[in-house]
Amino acid sequence: MDWLEEELRRALAREDPPDGFAERVLSRSARGAWGRRGWLAAAAMVVVAFGAGGAWRQHQGNQAKEEVMLALRLASGPVSHIQSEVRGMTQ
Amino acid sequence: MRSLLVACLGALALLAAPQQFHINLDSVASKASSHVDVSLDASTLQFAAKFLDASDPDEAKVKKLIVGIEGIYVRHFEFKSSGAWSQADLEPIRAQLHGPEWSRIVGVSSSEDGENAEIWLRHSGNKSVGVAIIATEPKEVTVVNIAGNIDLESLSELGGHFGVPKMKTPDKPQKEE
Repeated sequence: MDWLEEELRRALAREDPPDGFAERVLSRSARGAWGRRGWLAAAAMVVVAFGAGGAWRQHQGNQAKEEVMLALRLASGPVSHIQSEVRGMTQ
Repeated sequence: MRSLLVACLGALALLAAPQQFHINLDSVASKASSHVDVSLDASTLQFAAKFLDASDPDEAKVKKLIVGIEGIYVRHFEFKSSGAWSQADLEPIRAQLHGPEWSRIVGVSSSEDGENAEIWLRHSGNKSVGVAIIATEPKEVTVVNIAGNIDLESLSELGGHFGVPKMKTPDKPQKEE
């Protein structure tokens, strides 16, 4: 059994990591965290952009609607007035 | 060749701007205390139509009314005092409406309250393709051009809506033209 113990001891012997191993691990870990944050930030920006675009479109639509209502209100007043006058004459 | 180019440019200008007469009221604007200037082309009208609520009776009427309209152009001026503007200020507009494509279909004027309103129709063949409205009061001037096919009866029905009180039929009209 000596040879087996010897093999196991050799295989499981404590071995120091090569120089710079810890720095490399920490560096990769940090890059991964930033990468995930980057994706989250990009996704959030897309959501915000779509939301802002939708809100802007809604605002523009409401503004256009108000302008149409105002224009037709100003146009309908005189037409309604003329119609009332003409009806009054014919009655 | 030059005349052809000018004609093409003119045609392009007409396509780009469906407004059917120039509402040149700078002299009036300078004297007004407030004014409204609305210019809506076909694409803006179509865009606005998407935001009109068909379940709202007033908005449903407007939505139906603007189908077939290519543009709405309104200039409305209000003055602090009577006499700030004169009929001469409107002559450049009336001069444009005296062209063969325009015909004045109705006009009413009241010597009592100084209100005048007239409607002109623009024809192309047997079709009416536009409306001009000139309405004046001692302290107000309104000029409207609606390009396209508009139902005047439906437009009239909007009077009294959106906070505009419907005018009462007078017992005796003061004067009519």
